[in-house]
Amino acid sequence: MNHPVMQFQIISKSPEETARFYGSLFGWRIDSDNPMGYRRIDTGSAEGIHGGIWPAPPQAPNFVQLFMAVDDVGASVAQAVELGAKVLIPATKLPEGDEMAVLHDPQGMPFAVWRRPNA
Amino acid sequence: MFRDRLQREFDARKQGNPRYSLRAFAAFLETDHSTLSQVLKGLRRAPVRQLRAWCRKLNIQPEEITIYLAAEHVPDAITAERQSQLLHWSAEAMAIVSAPVHWHIVRLSRDRGFHPDCRWLAAQTGVTVDEVNLALTRLLRLGLIDGQWKDRTGRPPVDEAAFRKLALARVQEKAAEDHIKFTPKGNL
Repeated sequence: MNHPVMQFQIISKSPEETARFYGSLFGWRIDSDNPMGYRRIDTGSAEGIHGGIWPAPPQAPNFVQLFMAVDDVGASVAQAVELGAKVLIPATKLPEGDEMAVLHDPQGMPFAVWRRPNA
Repeated sequence: MFRDRLQREFDARKQGNPRYSLRAFAAFLETDHSTLSQVLKGLRRAPVRQLRAWCRKLNIQPEEITIYLAAEHVPDAITAERQSQLLHWSAEAMAIVSAPVHWHIVRLSRDRGFHPDCRWLAAQTGVTVDEVNLALTRLLRLGLIDGQWKDRTGRPPVDEAAFRKLALARVQEKAAEDHIKFTPKGNL
């Protein structure tokens, strides 16, 4: 399996303001009507990737992280750790059936591995 | 930053006179050569008072001196990283202590009627969906719920006070992995 970048995620201290800003600037449709209350971004284009907005804890900076597709989240986490990554959020099932984990790469940059529902 | 400038000055002098020594450079700056040596090796910073005096000796313009003085107040990379970890872990501990939503999520996750739905959790706990999501991520980071959002605080089920104690102990364990230690005296 290839591991494409599936989506970007903006981690924001003020997610609502961030949604308003990018929604107004780029016309992105942002919808949080899902079990996580996750602000999903639909850029409205077939090109590029779509994304989402997640709240940042008060001590964290605002940043963007990438979600890479994998077919086995646990195995990808184990491989990443072997290569020097650190687990931030272990493999977690999400309400809609997808699964993800968040890690820090060896340089301390956060990224996520993600398996789509029924993938 | 200032160290690099100092090193360039020293290198330039040595280029002009291969016999030019660190002692000679220290004498020119009117300082002892061991202090100068430590500064050039990056083992210590130039004392601010001396930095001004050395800059004047080296004929450095006041505008440039201002930059070096400002830079001396910026923590080095190691200190900055440690401060950031300290901020992170003390904020994690603070959040556990001050936001009961963490406990409520764990408590609710034990029930048969539990819904893995942040909107449902927000309605049950009386906070916003964003606050639920922040607490949920924190609980996952600390290993207090599992990947299925189920209580992982052990058996028999803990009460709120025991949960808080366990959660703070988990923060300390995780902080220790970053070489941050919380002690009863308040030192970190």
